[in-house]
Formats: sequence, structure tokens, C-alpha cells
Amino acid sequence: MREVLATVLENIPIAENIYSLSFATEEEIAVRPGQFCMIGVAGFPLRRPIAVCLAEGRRITVCYQLKGRGTRALASEYAAGERISVLLPLGNGFYAAPAEKKIALVGGGVGIFPLISVMGAYADRDIYAYMGFRSRSAFCMESELGRAKKLVISTDDGSFGLRGNAVQAFERDLGQEQFDVVFSCGPLPMLRALKECLEGKGIPAYVSLEERMGCGIGACLVCVCDRTDGAHARVCKDGPVFAIGDVKL
Amino acid sequence: MDLSVQVCGVTLKNPVIPASGTFGFGREFDELYDISVLGGVATKGLTLEPRAGNPTPRIAERQGVILNAVGLQNPGVEHFIEQDLAWLKGKTRVIANVAGKTLDEYERICARLDGLVDFIELNISCPNVKCGGMAFGIRPDDVKEVTHVAKGALKKTPLIVKLSPNCENIARNGAAAEEGGADALSLINTLTGMAIDVERRGFLLANRTGGVSGAGVRPVAVRMVYEVYHAVSVPIFGMGGITSAEDAVEFLMAGASAVQVGTHNFTDPFACPKIIDGLSRWCASHGVSRVSELVGAVS
Repeated sequence: MREVLATVLENIPIAENIYSLSFATEEEIAVRPGQFCMIGVAGFPLRRPIAVCLAEGRRITVCYQLKGRGTRALASEYAAGERISVLLPLGNGFYAAPAEKKIALVGGGVGIFPLISVMGAYADRDIYAYMGFRSRSAFCMESELGRAKKLVISTDDGSFGLRGNAVQAFERDLGQEQFDVVFSCGPLPMLRALKECLEGKGIPAYVSLEERMGCGIGACLVCVCDRTDGAHARVCKDGPVFAIGDVKL
Repeated sequence: MDLSVQVCGVTLKNPVIPASGTFGFGREFDELYDISVLGGVATKGLTLEPRAGNPTPRIAERQGVILNAVGLQNPGVEHFIEQDLAWLKGKTRVIANVAGKTLDEYERICARLDGLVDFIELNISCPNVKCGGMAFGIRPDDVKEVTHVAKGALKKTPLIVKLSPNCENIARNGAAAEEGGADALSLINTLTGMAIDVERRGFLLANRTGGVSGAGVRPVAVRMVYEVYHAVSVPIFGMGGITSAEDAVEFLMAGASAVQVGTHNFTDPFACPKIIDGLSRWCASHGVSRVSELVGAVS
């Protein structure tokens, strides 16, 4: 974990309300899939926690949704060439054991972006990607997603791919395919549905959680989630990736 | 350049301390920089028993400020002593921030920490269960009483009383804490606030209300430090929206002997070491040889 003053390479819309921000760091920083960064936006007291989507050498790409004043300022004030303060890499990330050859990715909404980092880091595995979007206008990252051995797109309104969410698409294949591990990120109802459909299947599954953050490094106890053992965990430091059975969704 | 300050007979190598609740027990920030450069560390608020805190979301942002409602989540004083204090001690001065729901809890936690830390900082913004949940820090009589009880439990460690700005007259409350036996005061704690998501017609914090802090509260905090400084003779730790060395100097001039930096640790995790370096440069460029010369130096 360190703070870098990076140079913005590109900060452009890639889908409805979704921006892709690429920046260059002075030296290469090792980022594991599923890790995130805290991006400083001038004039805003809180940094924005955003998952790393692609890490290629000194070039790091994050994708974010325009949600409020902070993300809108990030989109409008940081053109190519601007300097941007980034704290990274943060959190634990997704880890696939060497024997876990067949990986299912189940993503919904902005939850697809940390899962794309898994595709890059585990390019030697068989990746089955089930990605859900609100509608066709939200679809993006076509070439990155195209690297999956199997890609199933779904949209809530049926305007592209299957109608329904990513878990429904995943569940259809669950009977035929023997997945070694499942990685997921997306809205809580989607994660709950995933937990339910994996019940009793014995397939290890990990989810990346989202929560409003203060420091992003584990000190302030703002971004806690409930563990199933009754304790709190810090999403930023103990997560954001948790075994699906370890957290209350 | 002499950045050291003396507070209650304790020497701090510089007057810059991360404020309680923004810095944990220092471990995470120590991964970014050596925290022994700090004048001290004010710990996360401690209670006798572990506390789970409030539901999430616990944080929200408004222009120039944040609101937080963490709800004193902490591992309890025993865990702190065994796990965190053992690690932190010797690196820098330790200010243990403590809270309670009853006078008895304040007394017991102070007695437990006496002699183990450099200062105890009393958080009196907590609801008093015996007074229908009204905070200890609102009325001067309650401030005096809780201070007196805490002080009675301390034989070795100096007591800082952290004043709440959510009161009628903070100078009176400062004087009441001094009468109760406070060795020092710190101010300001957060201002109680609320933020509403107008699209959702709902509260941004699960707790509905939260403590407001950050650069936007600084003029209020400076005014309060100034008023308290002129009402008491004990030293003051000033805080409230400090983001730079100049901001720290502003508090020193208003009457603070040392400062605490809170919210800005989130904006810039290197805030404290940068402010320490900046203070050194500010003093050098203004012909100030000892930073303590600046205390109350507003004419």
C-alpha cells in the first residue's frame, strides 16, 4: 500500500453513466485481482474507493459509475495529463489456488469490473463469465470479457443477451459444469441469490463487498460488515473479498 | 527549530497528533509511514467492554465536511492493553481516548489505564444513561462531575477532557472541567449533524445523525479554542478541520498548546507528517525558533 501521484492517461465514458479511468504510475505496482484503490478528488474530503479493473505494467484502469458530486467531478476534472492521487493496492483480493482450474465469475452492474481483473490475472485458467447489466446501454468491456472461455451476458430488461440476472444465467450452467471456484461481485440481492443457489453444492465461492469508506486502510471502522460468527469485519482491510459463508449478506 | 512542546509536564516531540477515531491504534498508518514521527497518537475511543458500534452506512460527505456515526466500535480496554498498547508504547506518546455510559464506567476505565499511557482523553459526548441519554458534555455541572470522577481514579496519568461543541457555552464547560480536576482540555469534538438523500427521501447515515468534522468546521473550532483559552489556565489540544501547517498555527495562536488532526487523515493519509514538516518550515520562514512561542500569540 502506498500513495502515488499518477498521470491520467484516459478518462472516458464507456457506457451509460460509466467511466473508465486509466492512469500511469511512475513504477510498476503489483496489484492482485479484486484489490481496490482510493482516489483523491480535489475539493472532496473523502477519497473514492474504486476497484482495479486492469493492471498492465505501469498502466492501471479503474471503472466507476457516476453516482454523486464526487464521481461527477472525477469524470469532469481529470482529463489526460492531469495528476491524480491514488492510494493502492488496498484490500485482499481474489485468490484461486493452483488446482482451481475452472473459475466462474458472476458479476452484476459495476461488480463486473473487479472480476475483469481476475480474467487478466488468471489468464491460464478456464474462465466462465456470467455478467449482468441493467440494459444494453450499460454493456461495456466487450473485448476484455471476450477473453473468457465462455461468456454469458444477461440484461434485466432483456435488451441484450438473456433476460434476467447473472445468477440465473450461472444457475443454468451449474448443473452441467464442474466449477472449482466461484468469484462474484454485484448488488446484495444478487449475492444473496448466488449464496442460495450454491447452498450444499460444496463449491468454494468468494464475494467482493461494497461499503462506504472513510480511510480505506482499516483504521476508522467505517466500512464494516457482519460476519456470520457475529463479529464485524472491515470491508477495506479484511475484505473486500470474503468467503461467501463467512459474511451476512 | 524546536517543535517540541510540554503539556502537563509531558514532552511531545512536536505538537501534531492524529485525532481519536481517525487513526485506529496507529498500526495501519504505520504501514504508510513511521508513526514515531508524530507528537503522539490519540487512540480510537475505548470502552470497558467491546462495542459493536452502529449499523452502516456510518459515513457521509457534504461540502468541506464529513459526518460519521461509527458508534464507538472498539475491542474493549483489555484487548487494547494486551494487543495494541503493547505495540504502540514507546513509539510515541499515547493518548488513550475513553468513553462510558455511566460515571462508574468512566471511573473503572480510567483506573484500569492509569499509569499505562501518557494521557487519558475523556470523551464526554456520550449519552448518560442516568440522564435519559443526555450527553455528559452538555451541562457544566455534568462536565464537572464526570471529570471529578475520572480524575479521582487517576494517580499517575494526566487527564484531558475533550469538550463537546454541542453545548450552551463551551468556555463555561471548559471552566467546569478545570474545576473538576482536568489537567488539560481538548476541543472540539464533532458537531452533531444530519444529511438527507433527497432522491431517496432517506438519511445518509443509518444512525440518522452523526458527528460533523472537516475543514468546514474550522472557524467554529478556532473561535471555541480562543474562548476556552481565555477562560481556563490548563493547556489545550486544539482540533477541528486542520488540513495544513497554517491551520495548525491558527489553532496555536488561538491558544492551543498542541493540535489534533482528524478528518484530513482520510483525505491525505500523510497529513500528519506533512503538517509536522510544514510547521518546521513555517516557523523557519517566520523567525520563530520555538513553536511553543505561538501559543495564544494572536494579538
